[in-house]
Amino acid sequence: MADIYTERLAALPRHDRKLLKSMAAVALSALVLGILGGVVTAAARGGFLDIIPATGYRFLTVHGVSIFFYWLFTAQAALLLGFAAAENGRGLVWRGLAWAGFVLMLAGFGFSLTGSYMGTPLLYDGAPELGTDDPSGLLVFNLGYSLLGLGLLVLPASAIGTLLTPRWQAQQERLTAVGFALFAWAGFLMVTGFAALYTFLPGAAWALGIGAFPADHGTRWHIVFHNMHYLPLMATVILWYVLVRSLTGVTSVFGERFSKIVFSMYLVFVPPTSLYHMFLEPDLPGAVRVAGSLLSLFVSVPTLTAFLIIVASLEVHARSQGGRGLFGWMRMLPWRHPAMASIGVAVLSMALGITFAFVLIQGDLAPLLSDTFFVPGYFHFFTVGTVSLTLLAAFAVVLPAIGGRALWRPGLLRWMPWLAFAGLLVFGAAGIAAGYMGVPRRVIDVAYQSQSPALWMVLMAAVGAGGAVMALALTAFTAAVAASLWPQREPAPSHRGMTVAWDGHALRPGASAWVGPISVLVILIAMYSFTALGFELMQSLPVTASGGAAH
Amino acid sequence: MNEDFALVVPVALVWAVLAVVYALAPWGDMIGYAWVWGFGSALFLGLSTLLLRRRKSDRAGSPAAKP
Repeated sequence: MADIYTERLAALPRHDRKLLKSMAAVALSALVLGILGGVVTAAARGGFLDIIPATGYRFLTVHGVSIFFYWLFTAQAALLLGFAAAENGRGLVWRGLAWAGFVLMLAGFGFSLTGSYMGTPLLYDGAPELGTDDPSGLLVFNLGYSLLGLGLLVLPASAIGTLLTPRWQAQQERLTAVGFALFAWAGFLMVTGFAALYTFLPGAAWALGIGAFPADHGTRWHIVFHNMHYLPLMATVILWYVLVRSLTGVTSVFGERFSKIVFSMYLVFVPPTSLYHMFLEPDLPGAVRVAGSLLSLFVSVPTLTAFLIIVASLEVHARSQGGRGLFGWMRMLPWRHPAMASIGVAVLSMALGITFAFVLIQGDLAPLLSDTFFVPGYFHFFTVGTVSLTLLAAFAVVLPAIGGRALWRPGLLRWMPWLAFAGLLVFGAAGIAAGYMGVPRRVIDVAYQSQSPALWMVLMAAVGAGGAVMALALTAFTAAVAASLWPQREPAPSHRGMTVAWDGHALRPGASAWVGPISVLVILIAMYSFTALGFELMQSLPVTASGGAAH
Repeated sequence: MNEDFALVVPVALVWAVLAVVYALAPWGDMIGYAWVWGFGSALFLGLSTLLLRRRKSDRAGSPAAKP
């Protein structure tokens, strides 16, 4: 059976394809710029590059701003619009809002980069009073994120209108599972846009002389951070769902309604779990701290449930196609397609990320680990391995489909996610170990004039080396995906040989699916083990936890 | 009413309760959370009403029909 998304994307109106290509170009450019900032920072931290700390912080800022805000959110916005248009089958409605949102986000990117160039922006860990030293810098930087927030408020309206138009025209009784997921995703993006405005507009207003001094700006960052963390994860799982259907034809064996329930669970579970960001607040009552710890256990429930749905559905279909063995059925998956390789790496990275995220959000460990390199060590499993590779996988399917060039050398490209994963494992293992050892995370040079433990520099060198491999593989993957933005002189060859089509085939009665539950069990055991290790290590150190402004 | 509406309304309700709790919390400075989740609650309530809206027939020249 034909891949419905590829066919519908290929049939989109020219104006829609132009918008999607423009957004993809900006998103991929932001990713490359962010990678450059990251690799310079990692090299400086690893002792391979001698730069003054202020320059290092500037590169670190460019890294965070470009990737965490503009790559992740421009890419999400583009893919939301693209798949919403594909769901509708006739293109985007309210296209002007989509363009307006995109232009606002692009303008925001310009302001944020200018703010990073002008000086050291006031971030969430800075004392608000530092803003008085450089009001113009604060104005430019905050205007950037405010414009991004405004763009996120405006743009998803086009996706929502697109998804609901068939229903309003009495052509659709209810949304499909993917349509509902995109609808929920669009709403959550708008809420995040509002949170960004709430966080960053007061600083800009103060710098313009029309508002009060943003004394509580650190707390406001907490709010936007929670959404910034979990929205990309929700997007990731939705994209897995869509891409698995595109690459294999498989839809959920549990039915559309159950998938909708899981996607709506994201919206129910994510907000109440935000309490754990407050663990370092000294005046937080004990009862609230306990409630926050309990609620934090629910944060990964929707992600793990969606993972179980996808893996179980794939396993049942693969076994019905003749797949054998506990893990042997996985050989039948379309690994030749770089998008499938990306999803494979994304799943492994997510398992590692979740494991260490749960270590970090333990109420007693958070004060000890939050300001250490443990944090960048573990969250790159999410930002790079899980989210970025999934977004790139989606672009690897969408861009050739909307009339660009066929994917460049897919036989070579499919190894890039695995190479990035190899670098990520080195980066993550060294970073997490460094965190357990107490290496601070916001310091470019941790040698402290040769007074720090020798192991610190060894671990930072490993972080730098792993980061370089990761950056190299990601840049190659990004450049190859971006090559599909160029127009194709001849019709792009179909990627059909790289995919499988298991839809429309009867499922084997009694087919079992064990890998999903086993994976979750392994994650639980690993979470328990690394938490226990963390407590053992911390108790053996002659230090006392003291709260700081970390998140 | 349909399943889409039934799944979106609880989101608006949970967020509304959360916003009220944050607004009344005597500890920390949680009013920002109240504003954000309160806005989210209102937004999803609005979106749920869009799920109830329906036209009887396809209008010629609707935006979706334009290239």
